[in-house]
Amino acid sequence: MHRRLSLLAALLLCASSALGGVSQVRLKLPLKPRLPLRGNERIVLAPFLIVTETEKARDKRLANVDLQGEFHRFLKKQLEKKTKLEVTEAPSDLKLPTQNLTELSRATEFWRAVGATANADIVVSGSLEFRIEDRSGYKTEEYISPINGQTYYRQVYVEQTGFLFDIVFLVFDGRSGERLLQDEFKDFRQTGGRRADELQGLFENLFSLENQILNLFVAREREADRYIFTD
Amino acid sequence: MRRWIGIVVALFLFAWGCTSYSNTERSKSQIAFGASVARQGLWREAAFRFEQAIAKDPGNARAHNNLAVALEASGEFARALVEYKKALDLAPNDTYIRRNYARFAEFYTSYTRTTGKAASAS
Repeated sequence: MHRRLSLLAALLLCASSALGGVSQVRLKLPLKPRLPLRGNERIVLAPFLIVTETEKARDKRLANVDLQGEFHRFLKKQLEKKTKLEVTEAPSDLKLPTQNLTELSRATEFWRAVGATANADIVVSGSLEFRIEDRSGYKTEEYISPINGQTYYRQVYVEQTGFLFDIVFLVFDGRSGERLLQDEFKDFRQTGGRRADELQGLFENLFSLENQILNLFVAREREADRYIFTD
Repeated sequence: MRRWIGIVVALFLFAWGCTSYSNTERSKSQIAFGASVARQGLWREAAFRFEQAIAKDPGNARAHNNLAVALEASGEFARALVEYKKALDLAPNDTYIRRNYARFAEFYTSYTRTTGKAASAS
């Protein structure tokens, strides 16, 4: 009997030491800026290309959104608040030389001229796409009958609206007009109901991309969970 | 004569066993202390403790994992990668180590893509 008990105790001890303790910790990981900047450069925000599909352009809800204006305002505000860059906007009458993104990224002379006019070290442009997608439709739902308690499946109509925001950033050297960086960020948000507000949807997209956008210019932090063993 | 040889061998084995047992125990206590300071955010101290644990017990996958996390928290990503790999080599089926490594790999890939180098970030 004693031998069995001691064997059991030994087994339990082995098992507990094998399982051990685990603890979850949260780390703040540094994210280096994508652009090698000093941090106090003068930056000019040039117009962005607005990408619209012909069918989507007919969407009346998009007519309420000044995408260029709202995005510029958002970007300027964020850069002024969270970086030490000196932010200016390009003259309102500045016209882009092309509506093609690839050609725009190669328009070295144009960007050098923009940089020289604004006396800027960095010029930011790119393209913006904002889409409102109606994702309403029938979906299969589980249903338990209160009468007989059996499970049935039924089709229910679900109203949902999706907001898709796609930004391509083009960053140019204001002195040479050379492209320093091209990067794309996308965000999709889905909300219940068909009458979801388009401006709220746009800002939901923008705020979720905020960290990534700012990380182009300045160092950011990202939280991450890891496991450590406690014995 | 044979009896004496037997006694010497037995004593040697006993002493060796005691040493390895105490090393394991010391390694465990270093891990425990390291983990407690890590939870307070004192990652440099934690890394030192986990290094001590590894010095005592180099085959301890848990110590390698913890050191990797501490190095990651201190921004020493290249060294963290090495430690995560050692931990995985030692305990390839450990769920926690595998999860940590997967998450780190995701971050580190994006980090090296961003900075364009896989060198030490310290």
